[in-house]
Amino acid sequence: MSDTLIEVNDLKIHFFTDEGVVRAVDGVDLTIERGKTLCLVGESGCGKSVACRAFLQIVHSIGKIVSGEIIYHRRVDNNFEETIDIAQLNPKGRQIREIRGKEISMIFQEPMTSLSPMYTVGNQIMENILLHTNLSKEEARQLCVQLLDQVGIPQPHRLVDEYPFRLSGGMRQRAMIAMALSCNPTLLIADEPTTALDVTTQANILDLMRNIQKEYQMALLFITHDLGVVAEIADTVAVMYLGKIVESGDVDTIFNNPKHPYTQALLRSIPKISRTREKLDTIQGMVPNPYRRPGGCPFHPRCTQAMPECSTMVPSVTRFSDGHTTRCLLYENITTKQFAELS
Amino acid sequence: MDLEREVEDMWKFLFRRTLAMLFTVWVVSIISFAVIQLPPGDYVTTLMSQMVSQGGRELTPEYAEQLRELYGLNESMYVQYGKWITNIIFKGQFGYSFVYKRDAVELITERMPMTFALSMSSFVLVWVIALPIGIYSAVRKYSIGDYIFTFLGFIGLAVPSFLLALILLFVSQKYLGQAMIGLFSQEFADAAWSWDKFVDMLKHLWIPTILIGLGGTAGLIRTMRANLLDELNKPYVETARAKGLSETRLLLKYPVRHALNPFVSTIGWTLPNLVAGEVIVAIVLNLPTSGPVLYRALQSQDMFVAAGFILLLSILTVIGTFISDLLLAVLDPRIRLR
Amino acid sequence: MAQVPLVTDPSIEFADPFDKAEHTQAEVASQWKLMWWKFKRHKMAVVGGIVVLMFYLVALFAEFVAPVHFTSYNETYVYAPPQEIHLLQNGRFSPYVFGYRFERDPASFKKTWFIDESVIIPVGFFVSGEPYKLWGFIPGNWHLFGSKNPEEPFYLLGADKSGRDVFSRIVYSSRISLTVGLAGVTISLLLGILIGGISGLVGGAVDNAIQRLIEILISVPTLPLWLALAAVVPLDWTPVKVYFMITVILSLIGWTGLARVVRSKFLALREEDFILAAILDGVPRSRLIFRHMIPSFLSHIIASVTLAIPGMILGETALSFLGLGLREPVVSWGVMLRETQKVTVLATYPWLLWPAAAVIIVVLALNFLGDGLRDAADPYQ
Repeated sequence: MSDTLIEVNDLKIHFFTDEGVVRAVDGVDLTIERGKTLCLVGESGCGKSVACRAFLQIVHSIGKIVSGEIIYHRRVDNNFEETIDIAQLNPKGRQIREIRGKEISMIFQEPMTSLSPMYTVGNQIMENILLHTNLSKEEARQLCVQLLDQVGIPQPHRLVDEYPFRLSGGMRQRAMIAMALSCNPTLLIADEPTTALDVTTQANILDLMRNIQKEYQMALLFITHDLGVVAEIADTVAVMYLGKIVESGDVDTIFNNPKHPYTQALLRSIPKISRTREKLDTIQGMVPNPYRRPGGCPFHPRCTQAMPECSTMVPSVTRFSDGHTTRCLLYENITTKQFAELS
Repeated sequence: MDLEREVEDMWKFLFRRTLAMLFTVWVVSIISFAVIQLPPGDYVTTLMSQMVSQGGRELTPEYAEQLRELYGLNESMYVQYGKWITNIIFKGQFGYSFVYKRDAVELITERMPMTFALSMSSFVLVWVIALPIGIYSAVRKYSIGDYIFTFLGFIGLAVPSFLLALILLFVSQKYLGQAMIGLFSQEFADAAWSWDKFVDMLKHLWIPTILIGLGGTAGLIRTMRANLLDELNKPYVETARAKGLSETRLLLKYPVRHALNPFVSTIGWTLPNLVAGEVIVAIVLNLPTSGPVLYRALQSQDMFVAAGFILLLSILTVIGTFISDLLLAVLDPRIRLR
Repeated sequence: MAQVPLVTDPSIEFADPFDKAEHTQAEVASQWKLMWWKFKRHKMAVVGGIVVLMFYLVALFAEFVAPVHFTSYNETYVYAPPQEIHLLQNGRFSPYVFGYRFERDPASFKKTWFIDESVIIPVGFFVSGEPYKLWGFIPGNWHLFGSKNPEEPFYLLGADKSGRDVFSRIVYSSRISLTVGLAGVTISLLLGILIGGISGLVGGAVDNAIQRLIEILISVPTLPLWLALAAVVPLDWTPVKVYFMITVILSLIGWTGLARVVRSKFLALREEDFILAAILDGVPRSRLIFRHMIPSFLSHIIASVTLAIPGMILGETALSFLGLGLREPVVSWGVMLRETQKVTVLATYPWLLWPAAAVIIVVLALNFLGDGLRDAADPYQ
């Protein structure tokens, strides 16, 4: 019985478009522990949303998982565990559909459009319950009201029959959370759930998510580009840049001892409250065109510490202590040197 | 839940829409009547020129005046319109047909039901064909099937129904030895209505139905395809997929259901097109519907018949649009609960 | 799929050297260039565009393209069937057609035509034949193709009831049939921009009233209305007047669609930042409309116009076919098709249906073209 819930090894997802192939996810390794929160951080377009959709096999149809594995350690009962490679499952097959919404559920960025305006909130939440449990319609409805109450929706008896377009953005996101919780998932994936909300609502939703995560003892994969959110919620952090995880480790290590120049730059770009007013650091340049990604280390055109070999050599994973890893030639040279000295 | 409020909203909506429809019908009645009044001269002048061209005697001015007096053709247009519309509303009288020498209402009751039947059956046909093909084309975008349907759709758009009718006439005459004209076999043409006559009509009905419907089908397939393609990438579809719904159930419950709304609102323009198609196909195939009568009435300034038919054909489409609005409100809570 | 050419414009300097590689031509091209690229990828639209262009060229040079004038007749060849062109003679390229021979039914005096394979009529390109005046004032006698001896019969698509060449008549007809669409669309467009513009710019009660009017007009089935209006045209009017009337009738209903497009664009534009910026800069209203608003939706207008032309062409064809539109001696595709209204004529002389092919091809091509233009009108999507 391990505490590992999901292991992702060398996952590659490519998008085959008219203009060419986009390597949206280009060799990602991740580990999600049971009951822990992993934050996946990166700029828009770095492939974090695509990667997390692969956990449910709901990548957009022009995107294909070309290689790698997503090992899901499914606990059948308290002393037996089976492993499933989600990457190998047929996206339309029965097996992945039984996992979706029941064992792994997901909430999305746009609460305004993630619920259909044609059906009531209750209908859409009950759909999930009826699909995965043997509850009767009446029982499902009761559970639904209970869930709405739990996620802090006032007057759940009334709002269960309300249409989503009559609710505020925050309320809709709460309803989405209720839907995701409805079958006691072991993993909840949240794809920037607070980005589209205003700041106060963001804080409330974040609080709610932290509480329910404790209550439900589930793992949380939280995707965000907001480092403030990360500091508040994460157990471990993975920093993604152009389809690769450039650094990962527990939250304290990442914030206090970042290794990768990109992580360092990201952290420098958070505004700090201090006596002296200083100009906020930004990362120079833009995320490159996805069709023509740079060779070598993908970050080298924007890296302040770039070396000549960075444009040709693809850095491999360097491991520090406590599961702290990075992909950067700066450290690779040191460790290989050290390794050579040691042996 | 606020069922009462919802019902009340629905009634208000119904009331508003009904008022709007009545207003439209009123304007349409003015248009119908005004159009008929536009030609210089009136039925009596047409009659006079006809008699001269047929080598008959010329009408004496006195007799012409008598005729005009008889039919009220001397009065101002407003008075004529007022008389015409009040007779229709309160007595169900559509005036007199100069050409057929009968009450216009007889012609209307004779012809309009068939027009209605034909328009409705082609409407049903259009939907039955366009809906599944539109869904297929969107879901299997850029597949061979999609390309074939898209191409056929374009051809359907380009071939007007009366040309199709001509081609059909030619083919049937050439290969079957008899032109497919009319709605009844010879033995039933003048017979009273019976079950056999009805069956016989159904046997003939499908040809004009297809001819009229085909053009509209193409447009609707493209509408459905485009609507559905828009919906397929909406976030709520992803939400539903992440629940573990099967693809078919997902497709029908979410994107198709959403795409249905703009599709329903196309009734507003498909119905006038179908009615127009019905008129011209009926003229070509000489069907016992309103088309040929309207055509003849317009040519000989048989004004009451023409105005009556134009009014009723327009009302047919106005009512269609009204029904589509109601249907839309039933289908879409966003419209109902505004 | 065609690739967007990845050429960077050397004349443009970028501030950030890292960005240079990222800027493709797509990012610096003008809107019209982007639309052209997008349009080119739509193969059927390009084909449609070429076909439409060819049709209009044929209409423009009808005198040259048609072997004979549309009024030229020859009683000898009443209802003569089409001749097939044979390309090779004794293994050499030398196109020819066979001549005619007929038998007269002794009872009905009806002619029955046969192709006489013993008579060979050589045909060719750029032959001199019937003299004409191009556009009414440039004299000439060269024809794109025809029989080498103008005295010999050459009926590519057969002859009609007066022994006139169906092909030549189709060629001349395109002048009327294709320009009715253009003229009708022009009138519709003017009405549409004017009324739609007022609706979109003024808004409020005016907008509401115009929208109701459009809804009502749309709910009247077009054909009965067209028929009624066309019946108004007096029989003794000159062809030019009738032609003008028909275009007006067609556009009386056609403007509604364009007005809706214009209105929705104006409404959408009012919300755009660049319009707000122009208003804040104190740009005068007329300049705002003509310099900023109209150019930004011109592409949509062009696409809508292209898609409106087929309806006009079909409308004219239908009206003339029913005898309520243009009439002889003017010749349009609808006028020609009028002869096929009698089933017996149609069945005996099916080649009289050829004008229908012209209608279908040009409408199809315009639809493809319009569809491609509509897709290309939004190059940023």
